[in-house]
Amino acid sequence: MGFVVTSLIFAVVGVIASFGAGICCNRGPSTNLLHLTLIITATVCCWTMWAIVYLAQLNPLIVPVLSEGE
Amino acid sequence: MEYIDNMPSMDLMRSEKMTFVQLIIPAESAHRAVTYLGQLGLLQFRDLNAEKSPFQRTFVNQVKRCVEMSRKLRYFKDQMHKAGLLLPPLPASQPDIELEEIEIQLAEHEHELIEMNANSEKLRQSYNELLEFKMVLQKASGFLVSSSSHTTDREVELDENVYSNDNHADTASLLEQEMRSELSNQSGVRFISGIICTSKVLQFERILFRATRGNMLFNQAVADEEILDPSSNEMVEKIVFVVFFSGEQARTKILKICEAFGANCYPVPEDTTKRRQITQEVLSRLSELETTLDAGLLHRDKALTSIGYHLTKWINMVKTQKAVYDTLNMLNFDVTKKCLVGEGWCPIFAKTKIQEALQRATFDSSSQVGIIFHVMDAVESPPTYFRTNGFTNAFQEIVDAYGVAKYQEANPAVYTIVTFPFLFAVMFGDWGHGICLLLGALVLIARESKLSSQKLGSFMEMLFGGRYVLLLMSIFSIYCGLIYNEFFSVPFHIFGDSAYKCQDATCRYQFVPQVIFLNSLFGYLSILIVVKWCTGSQADLYHVMIYMFLSPFEALGENRLFWGQSVLQVVLLLLALIAVPWMLFPKPFILKRLHMERFQGRTYGILGTSEMMSIDDEPDSARERAEEFNFSEVFVHQMIHSIEFVLGAVSNTASYLRLWALSLAHSELSTVFYEKVLLLAWGYDNIIIRLVGLAVFAFATAFILLMMETLSAFLHALRLHWVEFQNKFYHGDGYKFNPFSFALLADDDD
Repeated sequence: MGFVVTSLIFAVVGVIASFGAGICCNRGPSTNLLHLTLIITATVCCWTMWAIVYLAQLNPLIVPVLSEGE
Repeated sequence: MEYIDNMPSMDLMRSEKMTFVQLIIPAESAHRAVTYLGQLGLLQFRDLNAEKSPFQRTFVNQVKRCVEMSRKLRYFKDQMHKAGLLLPPLPASQPDIELEEIEIQLAEHEHELIEMNANSEKLRQSYNELLEFKMVLQKASGFLVSSSSHTTDREVELDENVYSNDNHADTASLLEQEMRSELSNQSGVRFISGIICTSKVLQFERILFRATRGNMLFNQAVADEEILDPSSNEMVEKIVFVVFFSGEQARTKILKICEAFGANCYPVPEDTTKRRQITQEVLSRLSELETTLDAGLLHRDKALTSIGYHLTKWINMVKTQKAVYDTLNMLNFDVTKKCLVGEGWCPIFAKTKIQEALQRATFDSSSQVGIIFHVMDAVESPPTYFRTNGFTNAFQEIVDAYGVAKYQEANPAVYTIVTFPFLFAVMFGDWGHGICLLLGALVLIARESKLSSQKLGSFMEMLFGGRYVLLLMSIFSIYCGLIYNEFFSVPFHIFGDSAYKCQDATCRYQFVPQVIFLNSLFGYLSILIVVKWCTGSQADLYHVMIYMFLSPFEALGENRLFWGQSVLQVVLLLLALIAVPWMLFPKPFILKRLHMERFQGRTYGILGTSEMMSIDDEPDSARERAEEFNFSEVFVHQMIHSIEFVLGAVSNTASYLRLWALSLAHSELSTVFYEKVLLLAWGYDNIIIRLVGLAVFAFATAFILLMMETLSAFLHALRLHWVEFQNKFYHGDGYKFNPFSFALLADDDD
């Protein structure tokens, strides 16, 4: 559940940033496309980073083990 | 579908569209036209006279004049530097001057300067000599007086004194008393006085001793002041000496030895009154010379300052004129000898600007004939031109350092802007250090305008040029550091594709099978990893992958991660196997077919028109080049490429492990410094130990973690981009657009 919600947050932030760049630095169609590409790439990279770290911890490979006799 | 086609293109993704143009310029407007084109800076001339040596070209005399003028300018700059004067900054408005005027002025100034320098050289030499003479007089009189102080008080002539081997002035006085009466009027003892450098005096004395077989007395004293040595321009210490000897042969020998050692000999009169007189004269002449020298120096400095006021302007003018003449040398005179013909590349968007500039040139030179500017076809591939601003420039240079993109090839710089700092951050991943880098980057960016006009050292220049790279690197580092703070993991970078337009053989027969191969094997591995995380299964992924190849049809057993896995694995394996011949075989055949089609059409064209046009009128570039299509070469090339890709897929995937390695190294280093230095030092109650520990921690952080680790992560991110990212699709065998532009001439000589 937390995974989906946070991924959605990433997506929303990406969309807001794209619109923001389109509004604030509107400098011709080619430059706008470049900005859009950069923002999307950055969002994807950051999300991937977070997702991998998160998923890797979902089912940890190394778990604490109760030793016998405790 | 149409929406995708109607989307605007991204300028940075593919190089600007270039066109090959030809210019026909009448001779009178040629110079002005080239100057205006240089100011515009958007046309790359092709050298039509490449086979000619520099001396066979048309404008060789003008170029020689420019070179001569720049030599004079360098001389002036040198002189100003030696005199310790600073060049004033360039005044804002610069009226145009003609080259001939500058030439005349430069010649005058040089003549003046050389004369002044020669004069002051001579003056300085005489000054030095007089100074030495004065010192010799002072010291030598000390020797001569002391040796006569033990005699009677009357003034003594020293010619008659004979000295023994003994070198002590004190004991000599007794002998002197004895011998005086005997040897009154013989060619007895005489002396030579002079001055010599301190470093040579021991040797000098020794050789004198040997040469005169010990029959001499050597007295020395250090001179009071240091003297300027003209050859080395340093102040050296000198020693005044007096050599007492007897005999004519000894005299010649001693004089020769003095000459050999560079010792200057000055005649000191023995009579005290005469000595005093001469000393007075020398002193007055010295003060005269001093004033003359100072006046000369002042005069020269004034002359240099007046030159310096114009110097920067002159240097720029001469540089631009030389560039203009070099470019004019690239053009050809046409048959009538009245026009210059030039060819070059220019971006299509610049065509109107160039035409405007040419029209202005025609108007300004009051020429009757306009300049002809038309588009032509070219055989060779156009140069690559990306229009970058201050931000994208650094990233484009990172890509260009590996290889300039082929014309219209996809430019990796677009993605590099994000992925490069991101990969850096994955390896650097510490938000504390990231904040330090961020502060540094912000400082560089805040002082942008001031730093860009200064001349920086080579290290600072690189750092300043990459300030935006540094900024992005630091921001991503902070992000990754925050993530790592939670947990240390193995980040696995998944190669992202983008939609290229599939139009040619390369795309369909090389790119698609490459993608299929890569994704069916390694993409599958990535998916398996994510599935394993999500389901928490105990499957061993090594075994999964290996058995997928070795025994694809057996039961999976405990390696089963999801339903239908064995079927999927077989399918993927088959896809990968098909992809290999798919990328290997079709492309050479298709290229061969394309080549045949192209050349068939051309051969007919040549036959048809050869009678109508004479070959001379045709410009060089449209002449046919006999291109051979060597099938075996292309096939081998394609095979190498396929093998490289297949093997590369394995090695590159493993290569991404460096992301893990470096991030681990970074965190371990910072842990060590933190625990072993800072905490250890903080454990003690002593304030001194705490301060020392803090200082060591700060130094270690700054130099090892911030500088060394930054460079290390930068290097590996660079390698990941250049090798693992770019060798999958990037050819990078183009050449850069290098227009004739005054702005790009800038700092060549300095």
